[in-house]
Amino acid sequence: MDDIIASSGGRHGPPGGQIADQLRWFDITETDRRQAEALAVTADELAEQIIEDFYAHLLSFDDARRHFRSDEQIARVKKGQLKYFRELVTAALDEDYVRNRRQIGQIHERSGVTPTLYVGAYAYYLHRLGHRVMDRMQDDPGRALALLLSLIKIAHFDMAQALETYVEAREATIEQREREMSELPTPVLQLRDGLLLIPVVGTLDSYRARSLTVKLLEGIRDHRARAVVLDITGVAAVDSAVANHLIQTMTAARLMGASSVLTGLSAEVAQALVKIGVTGEALRTAGDLQHGIEMAERMLEI
Amino acid sequence: MTGLDLAAPQMQRIERDGDVVAARQIGRHLAAEIGFSRPEQALIATAISELARNIVSYAERGMISFAAVDAERRQGLRITAEDRGPGIADIHAAMTDGFSTGNSLGLGLPGTQRIMDEFDIRSAPGEGVTVTVVKWKSR
Ligand SMILES: Nc1ncnc2c1ncn2[C@@H]1O[C@H](COP(=O)(O)OP(=O)(O)O)[C@@H](O)[C@H]1O
Ligand SMILES: [Mg+2]
Repeated sequence: MDDIIASSGGRHGPPGGQIADQLRWFDITETDRRQAEALAVTADELAEQIIEDFYAHLLSFDDARRHFRSDEQIARVKKGQLKYFRELVTAALDEDYVRNRRQIGQIHERSGVTPTLYVGAYAYYLHRLGHRVMDRMQDDPGRALALLLSLIKIAHFDMAQALETYVEAREATIEQREREMSELPTPVLQLRDGLLLIPVVGTLDSYRARSLTVKLLEGIRDHRARAVVLDITGVAAVDSAVANHLIQTMTAARLMGASSVLTGLSAEVAQALVKIGVTGEALRTAGDLQHGIEMAERMLEI
Repeated sequence: MTGLDLAAPQMQRIERDGDVVAARQIGRHLAAEIGFSRPEQALIATAISELARNIVSYAERGMISFAAVDAERRQGLRITAEDRGPGIADIHAAMTDGFSTGNSLGLGLPGTQRIMDEFDIRSAPGEGVTVTVVKWKSR
């Protein structure tokens, strides 16, 4: 056991490794699979009632309840769960199975179903089923226990698949966020004495909008600029917060003695701005980059 | 999708900036699948942005869910933004152009109403906010 634990951090260790390795790690043998399968009929018979109980339990929690929008959704999810628990005792623990389980983790991570909710739901099911199996097999409690222990092994294997994905999905989210923040640096180009061009590409979320403001103001200071063209050709979507950042940035530029022009609004972006109610007066815009530069040059002459 | 499916797939938890971007992407993608034109997709993305950002700014966390809807041979996209934050005391004021308690433009809610075909907002102080909007595909 020590060996296995020691090697579990390695790239080929059990947690993310081959399915065969994972099954070995969970100590799931052919006997376990046969024994879990022997529970299939019982699990089938009991599943509906247990799932009903489970949802009654679940819906008594505010946090859990907010994941359910309608009775149809609950009905749909209950049906999915019947299938899920059936598969738990009968499924071939193969690659398709693992892939399916991992998708579930991803969906849960994205929608904010916590590991606690997930593991707790599982524990509830196993516990209920366990009691009923023991009741039904009163004449052979030893065998009942053996069957349940096998099922519990498989359930843990199953749970691990989804939890593994939670972590991966989390990491991917963080990574993506960091990438979004670091990539697409905002260049400040000096077109001629006193005239700057700043092309903005990608998503203008609050973080990038703030860094754009800083870049612009630093650029004005460093280049003693008196006119700035802010080109947002590469920006696909705007909202009122982005508009607000742009307005504030242009106002700050003015306070530092530089006039600015916004160019490169796509028809879509312009329409969205009009709909949300940002007026042309709040932002000085030019039809295209060429016009924007001409406008900025005129500002230099004043 | 089979599985211990505790959540509908088309949901996005909203807690920070990156989630706003993700919600916008999901919405845009769905809108494209339903067959909305590109300008309509951009408008829908803007509306999602407004609702999601309000959650981050005023309620800390919440959820946005998406559903394709069908009615009388019309297809549309329904978006529900929901949080359990402090709620809005005066909805009428919040729906007015330029009203903001966040020192911003105060155009998010009224702008979203202008963008979408249907707009419903429910809130009570201390009980969070639920905004449900629908955009129908133009025929
Ligand atoms: N989810 C929410 N929770 C609490 N208050 C909100 C929420 N969404 C909007 N509000 C309130 O409504 C006001 C108007 O919102 P909005 O039109 O988006 O403009 P802005 O976000 O620029 O203030 C906000 O300033 C805030 O007081
Ligand atoms: Mg807003």
